[in-house]
Amino acid sequence: MDGTSASGTEEKPFLWVTRPLATAAKQFAKSLWRPSTVVYPFERLEDPKFRAKVAVASGKPIGVGEIWDNYRGVHALNINTCISCNLCAFSCPDVCIEMVTVPGGDPKHPKKCPQIDYGKCSFCGFCSDACPEGCLSMTTRYELSVHKREEMVYSPAKMFDVYKSKLPMNPIRVERPENEDQILLDAPLCIGCNACSRDCPTNCITMLDIPKLTPKPGEKMPKRIWKEPVINDSDCVRCGTCISVCPKDCLFWGTRQ
Amino acid sequence: MSSVTLYSVAYSIAAILLGGLAHLFPAPVHGWLISGDVVTALATVIFAAILLAASMLNTILLIWYERKLLGRFMDRRGAMHVGYAGLLQNFADGLKLFRKDTVRPGQADPLGFWLSPTAYMVTSLVIFGLLPISTGWNGGSLPLTLLLALVIFSFAPLFIFLGAWASNNKYSLIGGMRSAAQMIAYEVPILLAVVAVVVLAGSFDLNTIVLEQRNYWFWAPLFLALIVFLTGMLAEMERIPFDLPEAEAELVEGWNTEYGGMLFAFFMLADYLRALVGSILVVLLFLGGWTLPSYIPAALTSFPLAGIVWFMVKTYLVFGLFVWVRASLPRIRTDQLLRLGWMRMVPLALLSVILAALVVLARCLPLIGCVPSMGG
Repeated sequence: MDGTSASGTEEKPFLWVTRPLATAAKQFAKSLWRPSTVVYPFERLEDPKFRAKVAVASGKPIGVGEIWDNYRGVHALNINTCISCNLCAFSCPDVCIEMVTVPGGDPKHPKKCPQIDYGKCSFCGFCSDACPEGCLSMTTRYELSVHKREEMVYSPAKMFDVYKSKLPMNPIRVERPENEDQILLDAPLCIGCNACSRDCPTNCITMLDIPKLTPKPGEKMPKRIWKEPVINDSDCVRCGTCISVCPKDCLFWGTRQ
Repeated sequence: MSSVTLYSVAYSIAAILLGGLAHLFPAPVHGWLISGDVVTALATVIFAAILLAASMLNTILLIWYERKLLGRFMDRRGAMHVGYAGLLQNFADGLKLFRKDTVRPGQADPLGFWLSPTAYMVTSLVIFGLLPISTGWNGGSLPLTLLLALVIFSFAPLFIFLGAWASNNKYSLIGGMRSAAQMIAYEVPILLAVVAVVVLAGSFDLNTIVLEQRNYWFWAPLFLALIVFLTGMLAEMERIPFDLPEAEAELVEGWNTEYGGMLFAFFMLADYLRALVGSILVVLLFLGGWTLPSYIPAALTSFPLAGIVWFMVKTYLVFGLFVWVRASLPRIRTDQLLRLGWMRMVPLALLSVILAALVVLARCLPLIGCVPSMGG
């Protein structure tokens, strides 16, 4: 009790007690009716009714607490337009997307839609960017608490429910190169492995036989199957799955003359 | 004031219970059960049970009240989710602590370790048997009630130090040392402030002290003593700014560092019991107890149990004052604490005793008028 405050000026000891008391009383009077905290599960900042009633009434700007449209929350999946192209699963850096069978589709080629494990998901948004049909997008839903670990895995049906809840969605996608809407083949590189044809969601790739070449003396022939993919452009949805799965990078975007 | 007293309530409950029970038995047992002695004995037990339940319930509500008030002081809400506005949160916390295992450190002394929280709790509870909360609502009017209550109140440092020593932990020991030093230092100004009240009232009986305040409350002539008493009570309760014994930043949790589960709950409850006792003593000694000034309309003071209601309102307001101080002030240093106690509070308390003596001598108060004849 040496009579000096932190700023070094001389103060009366009486003020040491009374001034904090006055400050606390002022704060008490200010928050007596309504403290600035939000009773979260019951009140939400983004709820327009809450904003109209409380946030605006207390002098805060209307925009406070609004969720921006490009927020990356829980995914919404439109099962009806999904073409099972596998692109979301390919683009996922966390490998949290698995393609699972959903009802619909013929027995030979069952329809597959993404199932997302939110225990692994980092909400980077690559999957919704990669989706060629725009059927996988991210919404503004941010509540992901669950009781069991298994509940973190969102099945396609669950994400379809999110889609049906009409939340604002995040549709930002990378377009494929303009004027390049066909898939071309760099024939000498192809080994005829059938990967593109197998993974094509629309079965528009057919493996056709090609004449077997005989090696010239002294030349080493590549080990390959003597088949080549032929793409039916009228059935192709331009999803690019074949380009992604090709082990030899012999498929690419381009324009056929 | 209604004529219902705590003892009459307990006696009625005992009589009804034993009357119903007696019908199940043949004549000799029936007659014995409804005899005066048995009913009186059961009434005493029920009396104690009511006191225990009321004090514990009020203590738990006091914790809720403090949490809510502190929340408002800090621009938040405090407990919200269990019960209405978090009213049942502390019951849930108590249940959780009750279910927990109590662990005794291997090197701790068992007897002192187990005895200390129990004794601390019991000595805090016993005081409630002595404090009147309205006309007839007390355990019995002894001539030296106030002195007895303060003596029991000052047992605490002994048991705190016992528990701290038995815990065999350096933080506990330092906390216990600080607690003992602080409580003993502040007993002196508290007792001197009480002496001022006793000089003015002319009695150690709390009922008489309250009755003596029917014309004016003692805080007006004894404002100095009230300040000293409030400060001393803050130190006795070990509340901020005098919470050195459990300074979280330096000593982990002070003298109850090693206690967990229900034993910790005992210490916590006993702390708040002592806070309740402190608030009640302030109301009884300085704020007129259950009486209200005569200019308050009679409708507000004549409904049944009005005395208890107003007494509890005053008590909670006084405790609100303690919470306000807690929300405002930082913790002070040990040397500051002791200097404040011995060099500021003791002279102020002595001064207030002299003032009280002068008031009694003059028998007249400035502005208020002449004091009626002294009781006692």
